[in-house]
Amino acid sequence: MTLDLPSTREEAWRWADLGGIAAAAALTPITRPDAQFLDLPGAKLLFVDGVLDDAASDLHRVCVGDLTPGAHALGKRATRGWSLHLDAQAVAHPVQVVHVATGGDNHVAAEIVLDTDTSAQVVETFVGAGWSNRNTRIRLGKAARLMRAVRMTQGAGFVTLRDEAELGEGASLIGTMLAAGDQGVRIDAAITLAGEGGYAEYGGALLTRDRLKQECAVRVRHAEPNGQSHQLWRAVAADQSQASLAAAVEVARHAQKTDGEQSLRGLLLHRTATVNLKPELEIFADDVKCAHGATVGELDARALFYMASRGIPAPRAKALLTKAFVADALDRIADETVRAAFAADADAWLESAL
Amino acid sequence: MLKIENLHAEIDGKEILKGLSLEVNAGEIHAIMGPNGAGKSTLGYVLGGRPGYEVTAGSITFNGEDLLEKEPHERAAAGVFLGFQYPVEIPGVSNVQFLRESLNAQRTSRGEKPLSGAEFLKLARAQADALGLQQDMLKRPVNVGFSGGEKKRNEMVQMGIIDPAFAILDETDSGLDIDALRIVGDGINRIMRKPTKAVLLITHYQRLLDYVQPDRVHVLADGRITRSGGPELAHELERQGYAEVAA
Repeated sequence: MTLDLPSTREEAWRWADLGGIAAAAALTPITRPDAQFLDLPGAKLLFVDGVLDDAASDLHRVCVGDLTPGAHALGKRATRGWSLHLDAQAVAHPVQVVHVATGGDNHVAAEIVLDTDTSAQVVETFVGAGWSNRNTRIRLGKAARLMRAVRMTQGAGFVTLRDEAELGEGASLIGTMLAAGDQGVRIDAAITLAGEGGYAEYGGALLTRDRLKQECAVRVRHAEPNGQSHQLWRAVAADQSQASLAAAVEVARHAQKTDGEQSLRGLLLHRTATVNLKPELEIFADDVKCAHGATVGELDARALFYMASRGIPAPRAKALLTKAFVADALDRIADETVRAAFAADADAWLESAL
Repeated sequence: MLKIENLHAEIDGKEILKGLSLEVNAGEIHAIMGPNGAGKSTLGYVLGGRPGYEVTAGSITFNGEDLLEKEPHERAAAGVFLGFQYPVEIPGVSNVQFLRESLNAQRTSRGEKPLSGAEFLKLARAQADALGLQQDMLKRPVNVGFSGGEKKRNEMVQMGIIDPAFAILDETDSGLDIDALRIVGDGINRIMRKPTKAVLLITHYQRLLDYVQPDRVHVLADGRITRSGGPELAHELERQGYAEVAA
């Protein structure tokens, strides 16, 4: 298939694994893997190769149908999918979406629109093999709150996410991504704090091994004053893999008193692996606080020996240290069931990679 | 219990231990004293199996087994405990989790049943109390934000929980004030002064030996034991200095 994607000569795509996406789309069919929902109340949506499995789903307030695709190079391929609209002051049960891929490519769009003073929680899980492409549009009204957690645990292939979010006055978005499978990943996000006092946390952990490439390319734009944003990303790269974290903060001229934080940290499990970090600040206002940190390193050999000297075997010691490294990013998930599930996925990945 | 014969060891090609021999029997506490750079810490690390410390000749047997054949975590399971001069900070891993993992890894490798969370907590709290370490420090990340003295007490709490047969304590007295020194000294006596156990105290000064009476004192200089004697040797060193005594 022709991908028709921007070239890696374009800065926002410089670390994108276009070959990996094409290869994932060409993966031969596999038997449909088991997919489990977490033990949470609320809507449960099962998409198999991008098509809703009615019998296995329970929609609650969620609708499924055609959506406007938008213009993004990846996102525009998804023209159909699910949407959640909450009217003012409505309270929704969590929405779980499980995406199963059995080879080839599949595309799903989503729209989450929360009106004034509403709150929602969305948990998405990717399993299987193939290229799974998602286009998610989020619009949060005044003081609306969305907690969204996405885990990518495919056994092969590629997951691409395009998220576009617009936050109204005092709205809050907490997005946590975890890549803990054997797939390539591109997380491509544009988040705009369009109302005063918006709050955005958008981050997660990319765990990559073999020759896989995973990346995030996230841009948070503060358009109005008194906003807060935190982009906390952790990348763990093993073997010959490559993890890239590109996170940008843009502060508009009158978005005074903005508080922006970027924390990008990479951990190399092997010296053959690569971590690229690119924190970017574009600040046009003069009264802002933007902290940013970017570091790449290896596991602390002193800590490993200290743990060994207490009886902890090397693989376990490495797993504990790596887990601690990743924990920051996953601790942002507020729901205990969801957090535990994500932590267990990360643990399982780490135990097998070390 | 521990028998070191003609031990030669090097770091980055530089020979530090140059034919060190030492025997420690069960029920004994030995002190190793010596000037800076004599190889005291190297001896501790070689016994613990720290990567980068290469043994080029000689042997170390522990309870009749070749210690050098074992990985560091296997040495721990065999009963060897290394108390660090500079305990390492491990952000993100709580003291409780670290210690429970340590103890249970050792127990599992010895074919014993791992302790449950509740059993472990009871044990950890008792040891922390005995060493005057505040309970909330058990929940904090390992050694992170601990003062020098707290780190050393934490080492002793770990020793109390792990209950090893043999402890190598590398400058456990450094960074301790007088009160802490007494508490740590009492801890060493309480945990290790038993007929089935032994201790190698690596120290620079006599002062810890006021609280922990050694059975034997050795002077380590330039990679070898140059003198051995009873507790009186430590006083002699304190009075006359290493240059005089070790020569």
